[in-house]
Amino acid sequence: MIEIDGITKRYDGTAVVDNVTMTIAPRTVTVIVGTSGSGKTTLLRMINRLVEPSAGAIRLDGDDNRSMPGYELRRRIGYAIQGHGLFPHRTVAQNIATVPVLLGWDKARIDAKVAELLALFQLDPAIFAARFPHELSGGQQQRVGVARALAAEPKVLLMDEPFGALDPIIRAKAQADLLDIQKLLKTTIVLVTHDMDEAFHLADKIAVMDKGELVQYGTPAELVTNPATEFVQTLIGASERPFRLLSIETAGQAVEPGTADGQPVDAATSQRDVLSELLWTGRDALPVAAADGTLLGKVTLEGLARRAARPQ
Amino acid sequence: MRAWLPSLLRAALLAFLLAFLVSPGWFEPLLKPLVQDNAPAIYNQGSLLTLTLLHLRTVAIATIAAIVIAVTLAILVTRPFGAEFLPLSRSLVNVGQTFPPVAVLALAVPALGFGEKPTLVALFLYGLLPIFENTLTGLTTLPPSVMEAARGAGMTDRQRLFKVEVPLAMPVILAGIRLSVVISLATATIGSTVAAKTLGEVIIAGLQSNNIAFVLQGGLIVGALAVLIYDGLSAIEAAMARRAGL
Ligand SMILES: Nc1ncnc2c1ncn2[C@@H]1O[C@H](COP(=O)(O)OP(=O)(O)OP(=O)(O)O)[C@@H](O)[C@H]1O
Ligand SMILES: [Mg+2]
Repeated sequence: MIEIDGITKRYDGTAVVDNVTMTIAPRTVTVIVGTSGSGKTTLLRMINRLVEPSAGAIRLDGDDNRSMPGYELRRRIGYAIQGHGLFPHRTVAQNIATVPVLLGWDKARIDAKVAELLALFQLDPAIFAARFPHELSGGQQQRVGVARALAAEPKVLLMDEPFGALDPIIRAKAQADLLDIQKLLKTTIVLVTHDMDEAFHLADKIAVMDKGELVQYGTPAELVTNPATEFVQTLIGASERPFRLLSIETAGQAVEPGTADGQPVDAATSQRDVLSELLWTGRDALPVAAADGTLLGKVTLEGLARRAARPQ
Repeated sequence: MRAWLPSLLRAALLAFLLAFLVSPGWFEPLLKPLVQDNAPAIYNQGSLLTLTLLHLRTVAIATIAAIVIAVTLAILVTRPFGAEFLPLSRSLVNVGQTFPPVAVLALAVPALGFGEKPTLVALFLYGLLPIFENTLTGLTTLPPSVMEAARGAGMTDRQRLFKVEVPLAMPVILAGIRLSVVISLATATIGSTVAAKTLGEVIIAGLQSNNIAFVLQGGLIVGALAVLIYDGLSAIEAAMARRAGL
């Protein structure tokens, strides 16, 4: 659990993060959004003390994050940034091993961890372990950056626009992989992004920053149905609201009994994507199948329309 | 041009230089036309090989001292606590470079006597600037995202310096060292005006006795050394830069 308690950062008297209080539940994904310069990065960097706050406190599982030297704190918290920041003079394996080496793990344990992470991020160790970062594609570099952040098995992973430099297709894949890995490792993730689609796709909770203040902190559905300010409304996009609601839940959550014609959609597909498929194929229902192929029922146009409507 | 041609030329130059130093007599016919009938064509007041080794030794000592001081200084002034000394150390090192080595020799002789010592001082001062400036450039132009990642991973200041900053700046630092070495190789010859044992002795002997062959062989040996050392250091630098993915 991360408790951010009245945290403020002032530069030359101006508060760029202003008295922010929020509690982040363990094993969840929290996404911080807001316009450029709203203080997202500064807030994130105060969690691992790359920036020291002017006032307030941050507690990790109850312990003040100032109870140990900054560098020791940072070895316990994963940190991944835009442009990955891989060490260009070190191989992929050495990059991933950075924090374990700092922590003094023995070689066998480090090697096992590197192999495990490379496999987890779908990078064949035989090919990639000995490569240098400039011998990788942007998507591969980004995966190595996240693998490095996770190498010392941190409970908390901070990510600052980690997918900002990726093309849309690779980005979608990276997001899906991140969710899978988060479920597997049960890491608490705090992620900063500009991309509202990304926020809605990834977040258990979204924190909206505006001029240094936290203007709303809630689930994606709460933000859509009950925006705290005009700014939140604008950020979400008024015309996007029904689609945002649908993008939060999966087909599996909208299943109705019965059968329908056509190629079944996977239960994990977002309702938004199912709606798109229904509209495009001109159908009013599609069958839904579990990952193992068993049919669960159907999703209907009417059912989705009901779910996309403003809650009464 | 074929890729092996430069290497071949370098190997030929090295072989030629070694042959000349070990057995200068072989080359007498080549230089004979440059001198009057009875004058010697090959330097005869000492071994060319010994002078070359002493020349290299003088340059090596001065360069190593310049590396230690310039790199240390550049590291100190790029740390937060040393930042305010940056302008001061820059001007000091610049003065070292603009002060003519001949003047340094003239000033150093009364204090240190004749011989190698004043030459070392002059070369040391003259060699500081390229190394200092390059180290400074290397350490202040590191990719911000890499530095951020190094801090974010929990490296201490010292770990960042030795594991990230210095290795990444190394190609640029080496370029400064290379420049400094080449300047020193040429400048060291004037050390012989204050009786330092360098290849300058051959050139000065030639000037005094109006013997063009002496001047030429002294100059050519220094030139060949400079080219070979420059190339060797360039190759090391390129290999490091490749490794660092720069
Ligand atoms: N070291 C610093 N010194 C002075 N001002 C700073 C410093 N770091 C950040 N700021 C200011 O604080 C404000 C918030 O910056 P921050 O980087 O947190 O914004 P952000 O929300 O992450 O923006 P972006 O989306 O563009 O990354 C900005 O106005 C920035 O200029
Ligand atoms: Mg930012």
